[in-house]
Amino acid sequence: MPDAPAAAVSLVPTLVGFARRLRAAGVPLGTGDVLTYCAAAEPLDPTDLVDLYWGGRATLVTTHEQVPVYDRVFRAYYLGQAEEEDEAVPFSLQAKEDARAELQLPESQPGDERDEREVRLGLVASDVATLKGKSFAACTPDELVALRRIMRTVRLTPPRRRSRRRRASRDGRSPDPRRTVRASMRTLGEPTELWWRRRRTRLRPLVLVLDVSGSMTDYSRSLLQFAYSARRAATRVEVFCFGTRLTRITRELEHRRPDEALSRAAEAVVDWDGGTRIGESLAAFVRDWGRRGTSRGAIVVICSDGLDRGDPAVLDKSLERLGRLCHRIVWLNPHMTGGSAFRPSTLGMMVAAPHVDLLLSGHDLASLEEFAARLPDLG
Amino acid sequence: MAERPDVPSSVPELTGALADVGYLADRGLATSLYLGLRLGRPVLLEGEVGVGKTEVAKAMAVVLGRRLIRLQCYEGIDSSQALYEWDYARQMLQIRAMSERRLDDDAAVDQLFGPEFLLERPLLDAVRAGDGAVLLVDEVDRADDEFEAFLLELLSDFQITIPEIGTVAAERPPFVVLTSNRTRELHDALKRRCLYHWVGYPSAEREVEIVLVREPGVTEVLARKVVAAVNRLRTLELAKPPGVAETIDWVRSLDVLGAQDLDEEVAADTIGAVVKERDDLDLVSGDLARITSGA
Repeated sequence: MPDAPAAAVSLVPTLVGFARRLRAAGVPLGTGDVLTYCAAAEPLDPTDLVDLYWGGRATLVTTHEQVPVYDRVFRAYYLGQAEEEDEAVPFSLQAKEDARAELQLPESQPGDERDEREVRLGLVASDVATLKGKSFAACTPDELVALRRIMRTVRLTPPRRRSRRRRASRDGRSPDPRRTVRASMRTLGEPTELWWRRRRTRLRPLVLVLDVSGSMTDYSRSLLQFAYSARRAATRVEVFCFGTRLTRITRELEHRRPDEALSRAAEAVVDWDGGTRIGESLAAFVRDWGRRGTSRGAIVVICSDGLDRGDPAVLDKSLERLGRLCHRIVWLNPHMTGGSAFRPSTLGMMVAAPHVDLLLSGHDLASLEEFAARLPDLG
Repeated sequence: MAERPDVPSSVPELTGALADVGYLADRGLATSLYLGLRLGRPVLLEGEVGVGKTEVAKAMAVVLGRRLIRLQCYEGIDSSQALYEWDYARQMLQIRAMSERRLDDDAAVDQLFGPEFLLERPLLDAVRAGDGAVLLVDEVDRADDEFEAFLLELLSDFQITIPEIGTVAAERPPFVVLTSNRTRELHDALKRRCLYHWVGYPSAEREVEIVLVREPGVTEVLARKVVAAVNRLRTLELAKPPGVAETIDWVRSLDVLGAQDLDEEVAADTIGAVVKERDDLDLVSGDLARITSGA
């Protein structure tokens, strides 16, 4: 780590002050970053405002999304322009682990995931059989809390795919020359035993696209809880919300509680009289995220009732493209009843149905469990 | 840190040197690169595809008079492809020869794991070359988490331990450029090691300059028209908006066909140079007259 050079010492309090303001505005900065920032001032000309700007941007900013925050704090601190108050909410709220006391649930045992899941599903069933079949929208707040707590222990296991990474094995498909040569040293170069390598498997990433408009919020919240448990299983999980527009909340979920993140997202993407625009939101997802690879090889889970105010042709086209950009599409429609005999009643669902690999209801815990149980077999 | 004599000593000097080798860098990019050089930090470049992220490393190699060592990342890349590998076929032959000649003393065995049997891969190559090289770690977002963690370790120490030979360390680190297309979020720890710069689309004015630098044969009128058309394309909601590389490709295609001007007809013939997605073609083809209309 470079030391702060002598020439810039007089500036150090100013620079550090700026870094602190930036930190207060929500950009995570360590002391090491501040040191680098000060060190960067030396080879540059800190009295030149442009140098000062770019020196800080190169050393203190680590994602594209932080640039507007940096610009705002820079303007306020060095140029003395007033900060707009509306955005200045620090995102430092840490997600607190709620105490899970009431229901007696065993700690998870490391072992075969499939077995573990079955054991857990069984336990859930015995503890709260009555709550299981109750629609989320009809639950009292207390019941919802209880359900959430159970959901937290159900583990989502996306299907596996073969990775490009290999590991040593006795019976693989491709030879392992490194091990074979190593082993043959012992027998004076006579390769007595051939070693092999086989492909590893990895969990597929999971992408949740949640409708948070009006009546859908309750269901989306429940699903989000599921996404949380999937993250703990060391899977890549991306979460997006939409109403009239689409927004990504994966980052926010790292800092906030799921409920709070979802409410904020809902405020941002829902115009109360605008209606839901599923087609346009999915098109935005494909355009801004899907084509860059976010959904490649992933299981995309869309939670929506299919009441689309937009053009059905847009929905059709975006789902078709999404189908080409991901592995499987699962659609959870809480307003769907009647299980497999369900016939799509809304125009949106009729358009969507041919593109969807698995259609489930997801309106109560039982159906979410069904989703969790069928997920590993979507490979 | 002792400076090599050929390192530019200010941001404008570096900008000028880059321009001399045909790369027009804006102030922000030049500052990041300059700081990367002076502070001995890797520079992480993120941005849309085709905005010249990879070109930066090539241009820096020419400016600094260093060798460019490129590591293209992909899923499952591991140490035998990035660091080093033993030449097993040769080792096998050597073992056979040894046993025939009854050479089984320690020296002969040691020789088996000597430098002549070691295949250097880009990262080892770069550590050995030290500040005689520019290391380009291209599309790091395509590699997986494990590789990222490994890279993090390498980028902090610039030393590699080969059990059979010993530790190889760079006295002065190479200049490192990492690029990412943001197909996934990189770990904060890796980002912390690096200076970060987002490479966006250049302004129209700057893009014309870039085209003229890269394709000196074309007229400014044609360059302007093409850049204007590409900028209109970027405002459409295309699945794959064209980057600067596509602009240059388009100009080049027009130049090869001997076109002096961009009109609807010639644009329709060459649109494949910029729009590379069927759905986008449908969207664009009905609108070509407006897109190509004037600078």
